[in-house]
Amino acid sequence: MPAGRNNREDDVRPGSSPPPTVLITLIAAICAGLAGTVASGLMAWIAIGAAALGGAYFASRTTGMVKTSSDATRARRLLLLVDRGGSPDSKTPSEFTDEWAQLYEKVNRLLVESRALPAAVSQVEQFRNQVERAAELLRNGKDPLVESPEIRAGVLLPLLESLKGSASLPLVSHLRLGEEEELIGAGGDALPPDWPMPSERSGADFTEIHRGLHELVQEIESLRSTLGGGGNGDPSRGGDDASLRTPAQLVDAVVLTAADGIEDLAAGLMRANELASVAERVTNRATLLALNAALEATRSGSEAFAAIAEETRRLAEFAREATDTISRLSSEIEYKVGETITAIHATSEDAKTSLAEMGGTPLPANSSARNARVQVVRVLDRSRELLQALGEPDRPSPGSRAAISFRSSAEPPKPEQDDVENVSPPADKSSVEGLLLIEGLKPGANLES
Amino acid sequence: MNLGTRGALTFRLGDYCFAVRVEEAGGVLDADRLAQLPGVCDPIAGVAAFRGEMVPVVNLAQYLGIETSASPGPGYALVLSRGMDRFALLVPEMPILIPGRELREAPRGNTDSELGDLFESVLENDQDQFHCLNYWRIFETIIPPAGATAGRNASTERGN
Repeated sequence: MPAGRNNREDDVRPGSSPPPTVLITLIAAICAGLAGTVASGLMAWIAIGAAALGGAYFASRTTGMVKTSSDATRARRLLLLVDRGGSPDSKTPSEFTDEWAQLYEKVNRLLVESRALPAAVSQVEQFRNQVERAAELLRNGKDPLVESPEIRAGVLLPLLESLKGSASLPLVSHLRLGEEEELIGAGGDALPPDWPMPSERSGADFTEIHRGLHELVQEIESLRSTLGGGGNGDPSRGGDDASLRTPAQLVDAVVLTAADGIEDLAAGLMRANELASVAERVTNRATLLALNAALEATRSGSEAFAAIAEETRRLAEFAREATDTISRLSSEIEYKVGETITAIHATSEDAKTSLAEMGGTPLPANSSARNARVQVVRVLDRSRELLQALGEPDRPSPGSRAAISFRSSAEPPKPEQDDVENVSPPADKSSVEGLLLIEGLKPGANLES
Repeated sequence: MNLGTRGALTFRLGDYCFAVRVEEAGGVLDADRLAQLPGVCDPIAGVAAFRGEMVPVVNLAQYLGIETSASPGPGYALVLSRGMDRFALLVPEMPILIPGRELREAPRGNTDSELGDLFESVLENDQDQFHCLNYWRIFETIIPPAGATAGRNASTERGN
């Protein structure tokens, strides 16, 4: 204990020089600060590097997901575009490239054009004409892509190329598979080498094509009825919908409604006239009563009787004036109603004449504009789906090429023919129906046949 | 000027205006419910109910041979009364009562002279002249009084 106390006493001994401990402590603090700064900087750099590496890692792992989800994004943007009805100033977004960009532009253009309904009508009519022309050429055994430049430049090009590539039998014949041999003769020599061979596609393919064609035709028919008023279409479809009537029908409906209302008014006027005649009879009675009162007053010479007779006369005169006014107004209204009916009929005839002079172009009602636009978009989508289904690269089809080569050779085709019929009968039937549906695009055709 | 009347009911038949003194008039009624009688001469248009009694209605225009324009309605019956006897004149329009102070006597014309004893007097106001006839005499020429025919027949027999 004393030694320790001595040591403390040495430490605080007054008047001695400052010990180096302070300097050492100061230097150590500075060094520690510098070391901390350097260490923290290194740690920061290490953290940044780790974050960058981690980010790069996650980015590399998620790149595929982004790429796969971009289609959904584009589809969502397309849906937004459709929902907004398109815009003439709309530019193709950057993520839309290649076919997506074309699709975006066409959908936008079609949506914008669908606002101007005559343009949409003409486009649909053009599309229908092309389909009819193609069906006619196919029925005559000609290649539409060779015969018609218009079809070659139209939207049917992928469809026809696909059908031509598949060399589907129903393209040139409505006969069922195998019936040609029965007519021409069996055997490979009986058929020309370029005779269309049975379809390569599977039954599921053609079922899908048939379904798509059927839906496409229904959509187009519905659209034509909506935009064109359904003049030649099935009268049972939309016949009761006022928005699907032609302008002439609308004029007739308006005229009939107005005429009915005015005829009701005329009937009411006739009833009013009857009541007016009753009032006139009452007035006559009152006048007669006043005359008899005046006669009695004059004959008796009574002043009181004369006063009563005078009041009765005034009352009768008032009733007479009121009755005359009612009769005059009733006559005027009746005359004006007749004039109005005549004017309505004349206006109706003028409107019909004007419509006829305008070429009979059906102008759909404003209320159907949005429906028409929606249907145009649906038709476009359905057409694209169908074209994509038809234009897909070769699928593994069971023995189709083999069938072609087999039938091109000298071997008898009958067993293979039977195989084809047995393996995929829906394909043949579906193709025939698909062709018939294309041919059935003429106005008023029975699609269900 | 004393006309001997307080006024007159005036009416028009064709081109002529006639008047009935109010002292002779019993009233005016609608002629829409005239009852046709069988076997009567032409000037009798039918009978009408007036204050609970039946009065014969004489078509004055037909009796005088005056053509009148077709009226829209059946017209009116102007009832004349003399004591308990009444008959009515069928007029196409409702008679107009003209007070006596607006009427004055007018000279008779050539037509009035042709009427003989059927004519009584002519009244006029500022617009028209009204012929007052002896309507009861007209009525009696159509339907003679009950004793008149028997008395004439008796005098005839006496003359024979």
